[in-house]
Amino acid sequence: MSPATTAAPRRELLEGAEAIARAALAADCRFFAGYPMSPFTPLLESMAKLMPEAGGVCINVESEIEGVNMTLGAAAAGTRAATGSCGQGIALMQEAIAEAALNETPFVVFNMARNQQDYFQCTRGGGWGDYRTLTLAPKDVAEAVEHTQLLFHLADRYRAPTVLYGDPLIAQTRVGVEIAPLDLPPLPPKDWALDGTQGGTGHSRQVWTWAMGKATEPGPGPDAHWQAIAAKFEEIGAAEQRWEASETDGAETLVVAFGSAAKFTEWVVEGLRAEGHSIGQFRPITLWPFPGEALAAASEGARRVLVFELNAGQMIDDVRQFAADRSVVRGIGGVSIHESGLSYGPLLDAPEIRRRILAALEEED
Amino acid sequence: MEHEVLIVGIGGQGIQLVGKTLAQAATDSGLYAMLAADYGGEMRGGPSQSTVVVGDGPLRALPILPEAGAAIVMHDKFTGPVPERVRPDGLVVLNSSIVDPAAVGDAHRVVALPVTEMARELGAPQAAGLIILGAFVAVTGVVDHDRLVSAMTSLLPPYRKQHAEANARALAAGAAAVAERGDLPPHRDGKAPQGAAA
Amino acid sequence: MAVVNTDRPPAGDAARKVADAHPDLILGEHSLCPGCGEPVALRLLLETLQELDLVQRTIGVVGHGCYGSFVRIMDIDVLQCLHGRAPACATGLKRVRPDTAIFTLQGDGDMVNEGLAEIVHAAARGENITCVLLNNGVFGDTGGQQTATTVLGQRTKTSLDGRDPERHGHPIPIADLVAGLDGVGYVARGGVGTARGVARTKRMLRTAFESQLAGEGLGLVEILTMCPTGWFVTAPQGPDYMGEAMESVYPLGELHPRAAAAAEAAA
Repeated sequence: MSPATTAAPRRELLEGAEAIARAALAADCRFFAGYPMSPFTPLLESMAKLMPEAGGVCINVESEIEGVNMTLGAAAAGTRAATGSCGQGIALMQEAIAEAALNETPFVVFNMARNQQDYFQCTRGGGWGDYRTLTLAPKDVAEAVEHTQLLFHLADRYRAPTVLYGDPLIAQTRVGVEIAPLDLPPLPPKDWALDGTQGGTGHSRQVWTWAMGKATEPGPGPDAHWQAIAAKFEEIGAAEQRWEASETDGAETLVVAFGSAAKFTEWVVEGLRAEGHSIGQFRPITLWPFPGEALAAASEGARRVLVFELNAGQMIDDVRQFAADRSVVRGIGGVSIHESGLSYGPLLDAPEIRRRILAALEEED
Repeated sequence: MEHEVLIVGIGGQGIQLVGKTLAQAATDSGLYAMLAADYGGEMRGGPSQSTVVVGDGPLRALPILPEAGAAIVMHDKFTGPVPERVRPDGLVVLNSSIVDPAAVGDAHRVVALPVTEMARELGAPQAAGLIILGAFVAVTGVVDHDRLVSAMTSLLPPYRKQHAEANARALAAGAAAVAERGDLPPHRDGKAPQGAAA
Repeated sequence: MAVVNTDRPPAGDAARKVADAHPDLILGEHSLCPGCGEPVALRLLLETLQELDLVQRTIGVVGHGCYGSFVRIMDIDVLQCLHGRAPACATGLKRVRPDTAIFTLQGDGDMVNEGLAEIVHAAARGENITCVLLNNGVFGDTGGQQTATTVLGQRTKTSLDGRDPERHGHPIPIADLVAGLDGVGYVARGGVGTARGVARTKRMLRTAFESQLAGEGLGLVEILTMCPTGWFVTAPQGPDYMGEAMESVYPLGELHPRAAAAAEAAA
């Protein structure tokens, strides 16, 4: 082989937001619409710079509602499209995210959240109707680069909007990363996409939540259509759960965390294990579908299941639902906000996490 | 092996550039690097901190470091002469034009350079941070000096390219100041990542 | 004058021919009220697309209203979108498929209530789309409530004594607002209450699409449509009511001619 093909791929020092933008482009995303909002803004700025260079479109929109609807339009035309925001901005987009789930338009939503308080927003909807959003929560920039590509793939595979749960650490930390394209299975062509060509043929296409079809070719209608969509989300729920379990076999204590917080708890738990504690960690990677059965297996026999999340208790509802013994589940996290309001407060810190775990271990003894 | 360094000072001293230059030089050398997010605030006079981790494998370090093996202290107004999280026996490279080396105590290994004055003498008062960076790299050997210079040059925005030469002299001045001294503490104090074989 | 009996299809051959005429692009009967102006507007729109040979490169974005049911009977690739958001969806479509002709079809409640931001921003950005506003001054589909274009004095379900500026504020002449924005290529207001109005409206639609194809910016064609049900009048009274009540507030005509035409007129 020639030297060029055997040379090791180069890592580049990239801000997380730029790494995510490059990963999206590597996944053939060619439309992006967004509204500035910290810490999503660097992702928008990266796209504003990189999209035109790639022959795509990036629009700095006048409102989040416009942004998500533009993205829906671009996606309905068959283009891989994305938008993003965080917290309040995502709340504005919920109607359209639900709409896309119900009219089967695929796109990716980058929720670059300010903290972990958007867990409910991503897993309980907040839009309308019976739908779910497949949500991946990376623990660091490298994982975010993989998840970004995977989300475009899953969105297309299932014809549904998907979500990346990011945060200020993922958006703003600069890390040496390689944007390696993921090897993903091929997908069928988007015959359903609107391009105008079926006009006048009697078989013109529709993207319509009610799926009523045409007078000459009736569609399933809202009843059958929404039942089919509900069934589709059940299928996704069963097929797409992802998680990471570390040393959970026989562990007396199980720590559960997601996203950036899990990178911290992982570090702390490893240290405690090296000191002789019987402790393991379970990390849901898909927030929805929540990997409940895997959590049940991982928590089998655990005397305590400690949930560390930076909010008033959101993921803990799902943990309680599936833990082998729900009576041993407790929260050791909490609301913790930076004085600017824009990021994590002092609770996201390894020494503090360690103190809280040790306090929990000592309580019963 | 992972090296962590906290770079602290006040806004206006080029702290962010120092961190970025080091992280970029490490990445250009084929190493793994991480530069932590900075929440910023006032542009001048408020606290400014930059955190860099460099390693020869995928980094395990957290984006908010619980502890660090080294610090570069350009100003001690907000952190004192030794930032809180520096490990005992860690390396502290400080700007003795502003920070009193005697205030550091015995717990850490100190390299003190009057970089504010050195920068003024070089005719590049804005480049004090690069002098101390050149010194830090010479002490620790974490990257080659040449990589530092090329990283610095690549990071200059188009409207600052004319500073490349002066900046390179600043980096060299810091390295030279270290080379002249015979009393340096041993370098290469990185620790193995938690969980990995040392 | 004898009132035409509309209880059954006409008997005479010529009249039957007109009644049975079925443009290719209309796939079935509409289910809207007798005397509604919206089906007339739909027909004009689809005829325009045919005449400009755009049928196989057009994508429509249809909002929510009585006209929403047109999605079932129009043989065009269509995105049925959220209330008010059509210009934003249309922007996404046009930006990724710039060689298609994109139109929105929205009622006044859709465009001027819910979607005020979307139409104004799309116009300011100069998106090369054609927005069609079916303005009857009521939320017809939900039973006839007041909208942002309801004229003063008009009775609706939520202004039963007639719209009163003290209590209900003033109507928004959206086409006039949009016509003043840099970024528009063509803005006009037609009405389908008279034969002359129908003919003028069709010309406006054609001009708007030609403007889109020439990349001149956003086109807005407001079409005043009768809503006898919403207006509490009979079907035959619709056109006259529209002329008296609405055309006096929203005069017909070109509010922002195409640049070339304006230059010609000035010369």
